[in-house]
Amino acid sequence: MCMIDQQREYSVPPRRSRMVVVAGLLALGIGALGLARADAPDPATQAFAQRLAIGICGTCHGPHGNSGQPKFPRLAGQSANYLVAQLKNFRGQTRGDPDAIGYMWGMAAELDDPTIEALAKYYSSQQPLPGRAGDPALSARGREIYQHGIESEGVPACSSCHGPDGHGVADFPRLASQRSQYILKQLASFQSNMRNVAVMHGVAQNLRTNEMQAVAAYLEGRP
Amino acid sequence: MKSGAGNTRALCGAALLLSVLTALPALAVPSFARQTGMACEACHTVYPELTHFGRVFKANGYVLANLKQVRDVTAKKEQLLELAQTPPLSIMVQASYSQLSTTVPDLSQSAPGVAQNGTAGFPQQLSLFYAGKIAPHFGAFVQLTYANDSGTISIDNTDLRFADMMVLPSEQSLVYGISLNNNPTVQDLWNSTPAFGFPYASSNAVVSPLAGTEIDGGLAQDVAGLSGYLFWNESLYAEVGGYRSAKQGAANALTGAAGPLDGTASNVIEGVSPYWRVAYEYNHERHSIEAGLYGADFKLLPGASTGTPLRGPFNRFKDVAEDIQYQFIADEHQVTVAGTRIHENMSLDASFAATPAASANPKDDLTTTRLWATYYYRRKIGGTLGYFSTTGSGDAVLYPPNAAGGPGVVTSANGSPDTRGWIAEVNYLPWLNTKLTAQYVRYNKFNGASSNYDGAGRDASDNNAWYLLLWFAY
Repeated sequence: MCMIDQQREYSVPPRRSRMVVVAGLLALGIGALGLARADAPDPATQAFAQRLAIGICGTCHGPHGNSGQPKFPRLAGQSANYLVAQLKNFRGQTRGDPDAIGYMWGMAAELDDPTIEALAKYYSSQQPLPGRAGDPALSARGREIYQHGIESEGVPACSSCHGPDGHGVADFPRLASQRSQYILKQLASFQSNMRNVAVMHGVAQNLRTNEMQAVAAYLEGRP
Repeated sequence: MKSGAGNTRALCGAALLLSVLTALPALAVPSFARQTGMACEACHTVYPELTHFGRVFKANGYVLANLKQVRDVTAKKEQLLELAQTPPLSIMVQASYSQLSTTVPDLSQSAPGVAQNGTAGFPQQLSLFYAGKIAPHFGAFVQLTYANDSGTISIDNTDLRFADMMVLPSEQSLVYGISLNNNPTVQDLWNSTPAFGFPYASSNAVVSPLAGTEIDGGLAQDVAGLSGYLFWNESLYAEVGGYRSAKQGAANALTGAAGPLDGTASNVIEGVSPYWRVAYEYNHERHSIEAGLYGADFKLLPGASTGTPLRGPFNRFKDVAEDIQYQFIADEHQVTVAGTRIHENMSLDASFAATPAASANPKDDLTTTRLWATYYYRRKIGGTLGYFSTTGSGDAVLYPPNAAGGPGVVTSANGSPDTRGWIAEVNYLPWLNTKLTAQYVRYNKFNGASSNYDGAGRDASDNNAWYLLLWFAY
């Protein structure tokens, strides 16, 4: 398992100061623009991807990517470029959170680029279903953190990258209606660097568990 | 009436016993993990119990593969070959220690004595599997087993599947397939049915009750079945098929060849015996619940078991069963509650008409119930508590009394099949493919009674047993 610590989703080293985090966010934004843009897959590849999505991916990620199980993320309406990047990270074994290792390293191992792009296109064009509204007080706290961050703890506003409505911006993923358990696990993985994304490590490192729960509850309830 | 020989039910019981001994369920094969690149937890809560994903993997014919393949295609991109670069082979070892509450009589000397108590099985069982993809829509689960009781290597659970999936206009999946297998319910997707039900492993060095239904392992590895199935939207499952006898180690008395079967074989299926199955699974959040029905109608020619040729009247075993399974699967906690109830109506025309009669009644019945609950913490440590019961009509020939001066133990003083008790086990998995088990089986009733059930002074509780098991697969 030692190799997990050596994995990098992005090559930005983890830092702790807020200023560096913001710089990192900008760097990531710029860098992300350079990620492979999904060219339109040919119809046969797109049909194959739909078949994969319904027959295999959907067993965990739910019909049309609207996962019914809290463990597995919702993919419906997700940014195509984010999906492409993640599938390539799984394939390259550079995303090291536990479920990525246990499930997706294998599932993505033999996907070729056109299939990855077609899968991303399929899921990005699916209609996301509304998520489950969480506890109102918890969600209100989560909304505050999401929209404004926590100044005293050096936590920037999530909305600055993921958009005010949580629908994602450019290559930053959609978070609205995402399964709260999945968000919590990802934040914990960013915090521990098992999922080694410098920017998100910087964001999550000072978040307390109850603050993560609040953000996750808020986001799952967002349309 | 003779005791000991010519007893269809006793032979069925022996067949059941043998099948239990030599075919411990083992759908937990690392070659599947190597083939898919996915950890055990994708398909199993803790092996051999399947998750929803594991059931879908099985229904699709064990073919999901994420390995580099050796391929061949036509100019029209028709797939001619897809071979993994390494064959999907696994080995499995079970080493065990069994101890009865009271050991059994020693029959080796004319003077009565007792057998040694405490039996080491090393190995109790060692299996080689081919488990995985053969071709694009063709996969296999084939188990070859050495067992210490027989001291031989023989074919064990086998399930060859062709399967494909179509996307319906509603964008729902419809999996359709064919299974060629050697044990009714080995092809089933849920662990509530007999072949892969609890207990997932049990001792082969203890005393087993006389009665068991046919679908409950009575014909395991003794038949060949072909069935077709549909699995709609990963929820509604329907299957129909038929079984013929496929005896191992049987030979035609005249030619010495593997067939045709003749009166030297026992319990040969007359014609084709139908098998059917319907089930519905509903998944919501972390919960998965299934309810279903399954059954078969076995017509068996008793042959050698009654000293009759393979013609004329047959014994008919009509089995209808209900099953249910509930799973709660989270990262920390896994809970399963499952069970089945099997009703068997026997029309024993052949056994009743035999000379001497091999059953006391022309018709008998059995009902077997099993219910268990399992809990695991982080797939690491857990346990199962299970209840089992078999009840039915009394039949002093099927469940024979002890002969004068006989050793008892595997007899019934009152001709009743009734047996019930509990199984408790705790399991520890240091790694996901290695399991340490301590199991205790407690009988409240055995072959019809709690005390002196065999007419030779043995109580049901004398058959209580400890079973310690090391079980791993690689």
